Amino acid sequence: MIRKLYMKPFVREFLRILLAITISLGLGFIITLLVSDDPVGAYQAFLTGPLTRINRTGEWIKETITLTLLGLSVALVFKANLFSLGQEGQMLLGALVSGSISLFVPLPAILRIPLALIAAMVVGYLFGALPGYLKAHLNANEIVSTLMLNAIALRLYDYFLIFHIKPEGAGYNASDFFPKEGILPTFIPNVPFLAEAYELFSRRANITIMLYIAIAVVILTWYVMYRTPYGYELRMLGANSKFASYGGINTKKTIVLAFAVSGIVSGLAGAHLGMGIHEKLIANITIGIAFEGIVVALLARNNPIAVPFAALAYGYLRAGADIMERTSDVSREMVLVIQAIIILLVTAERVLPIIQQRVNAARANNNLSMNSEKPALEEGG
Amino acid sequence: MSFDVVLRSIFSAAFLASVLRISTPLILPALGGLITDLSGAINIALEGIMLVSAFTGVIVSAYSGSVGLGVIAGVISGILISYVLGWFHLHMKTDIILAGIAINILATGGTIFLLFVLTGDKGNSQSLASGTVPNIHLPFIQDIPFIGRVISGQHVFVWIAFLLTWLVAVYLYRTPWGSHLRAVGENPDAAETMGINVNRTRMIALLISGFLASFGGLTMSMAYLSFFQREMTAGRGFIALAAVYLGGRKPWGTLAAAILFGFADALSHQLGSLRVPSQLVQTIPYVVTILALVIYNLREQAIKRDRQRKFYEQQQAEMGSGGGL
Repeated sequence: MIRKLYMKPFVREFLRILLAITISLGLGFIITLLVSDDPVGAYQAFLTGPLTRINRTGEWIKETITLTLLGLSVALVFKANLFSLGQEGQMLLGALVSGSISLFVPLPAILRIPLALIAAMVVGYLFGALPGYLKAHLNANEIVSTLMLNAIALRLYDYFLIFHIKPEGAGYNASDFFPKEGILPTFIPNVPFLAEAYELFSRRANITIMLYIAIAVVILTWYVMYRTPYGYELRMLGANSKFASYGGINTKKTIVLAFAVSGIVSGLAGAHLGMGIHEKLIANITIGIAFEGIVVALLARNNPIAVPFAALAYGYLRAGADIMERTSDVSREMVLVIQAIIILLVTAERVLPIIQQRVNAARANNNLSMNSEKPALEEGG
Repeated sequence: MSFDVVLRSIFSAAFLASVLRISTPLILPALGGLITDLSGAINIALEGIMLVSAFTGVIVSAYSGSVGLGVIAGVISGILISYVLGWFHLHMKTDIILAGIAINILATGGTIFLLFVLTGDKGNSQSLASGTVPNIHLPFIQDIPFIGRVISGQHVFVWIAFLLTWLVAVYLYRTPWGSHLRAVGENPDAAETMGINVNRTRMIALLISGFLASFGGLTMSMAYLSFFQREMTAGRGFIALAAVYLGGRKPWGTLAAAILFGFADALSHQLGSLRVPSQLVQTIPYVVTILALVIYNLREQAIKRDRQRKFYEQQQAEMGSGGGL
């Protein structure tokens, strides 16, 4: 029965990821033991921190929203067996465009916020389509081109922030706080019977309506991937690009679209950074989160439905590390070490097979020795 | 400052000397990127390797009091990190891009973490007395008016960068190992059939790449600056990858491309005083790289088409003569 369950790829994947996370958390604890005066306290802060206060839980959920969007963005490209490291650039431009609209377009909130979000998605789409086009039509290496576009986007972002957006004469590189019409509203509607919860969340843990948008994007991504012809072509391309092209799929178009659609979601993540988290545009707004979508997509095995759960787990580690740094003598960078080990263990195709081989070999040995023992016994008898 | 002042300062010896100084930590990892690229793998981890070497060099030189030991330790650490990358990629079958990203994250987090453990500071290592490599003053050349001021008095890594470019060129194009490496990159199956051990060749390429990138890291922390700073490589490992493509995947081309990136960086500082936004100037090398990537691939496609056409014509001719008989 257990063996049958183990044979299911889904269960196997899940076990593998669980194993990877357990091993890396164990290694993290060993590191903590070596450097901390109070390792148990530090690790406890790390593992339980996000649940101890409502504002900490709020930080965790906000982080999870960004990570979910980024994870989906990466999964959409990975599913086609393509690589994209361009999420950073798409996020930056998404944040820039949506932030500018939030700051400067004099529309009521009901129009300004949707306009800002749509603009972020359009910019993400265009900036994503570019490396896709270069890849599909000119066979330009998508890793190099997306890295270059990130570098370009970062400088464009800095340029607009410093020369056009930041208030005249300010000594720091950041915009003013967005006006109320440009900030995403709290996820609990301000209606009389929810007044208490609204008050609590808007003051202590400002989770925005991006929560609902992220959930919608998860469902939409799943639908697009598994229920539309485009999704079929995407998965076909990922499974076997030659077969896909012989099968009459326009692979070039699919590649461009894979990058572009992924860009839409990253652009939205960028909008969330500005309008949902910081509530202003700051320098280095994407720092520390640029490549995190890759980890989430890996943990979720590119399955859109699994992405939010992977993002929750991974966001929890990140939020926990922040709290550990604030309450103990261990710095938050330990989570980066844990993260690196998780990536290596999850992506190493041979980690589980090797264990599996050992188990099989041991079992075969047992069988062999049992078989060889039998005749010996008979002879003895 | 007016335009001609800027122009004059660009063609000054001090400016060209600074271009060389800024380019060195790009040239060295770019050579490493070139070698792995020719062996058929993209080394995303250059950034992480540089960080680890920069950190190790500073720490070992601070605690041992010897710059030489620091440099040796930094190089060894860089090679070890690329061994880890190679082991995961070649033995555990991890995708090299993902393994590279993991190495970069590990290097960023690990260096900051250890820096905090050792110094109690998460920003930089200025509280440690680490050494810097010596500058080289060339006895006669330094008296030559212009050139002397450009090339004399540079730190030793500038020279090592040029020396290693030459060595890499010799290795790749004048030795059997170099042609094996390129064969593996061109067509691993064919190379395998010829009896070349593909995995070993790729591992060697990764180790050499780690060796070269580690000098880049050491340049950052023991010559360019005299201490380690968190995330001090600041994307240089990725710019180095770009230089490989901009340089047409050739050693001297890569060197020239890396210097071009250094030039643009130095120029953007100069233009800052002209009120030209330095951010916009800094985008130029990246735009140029993308264009170079496009042109390179267009040329490849043209060559391919040309070959196909010739092959087709040849076949036609053979069939024609065959029919005549």
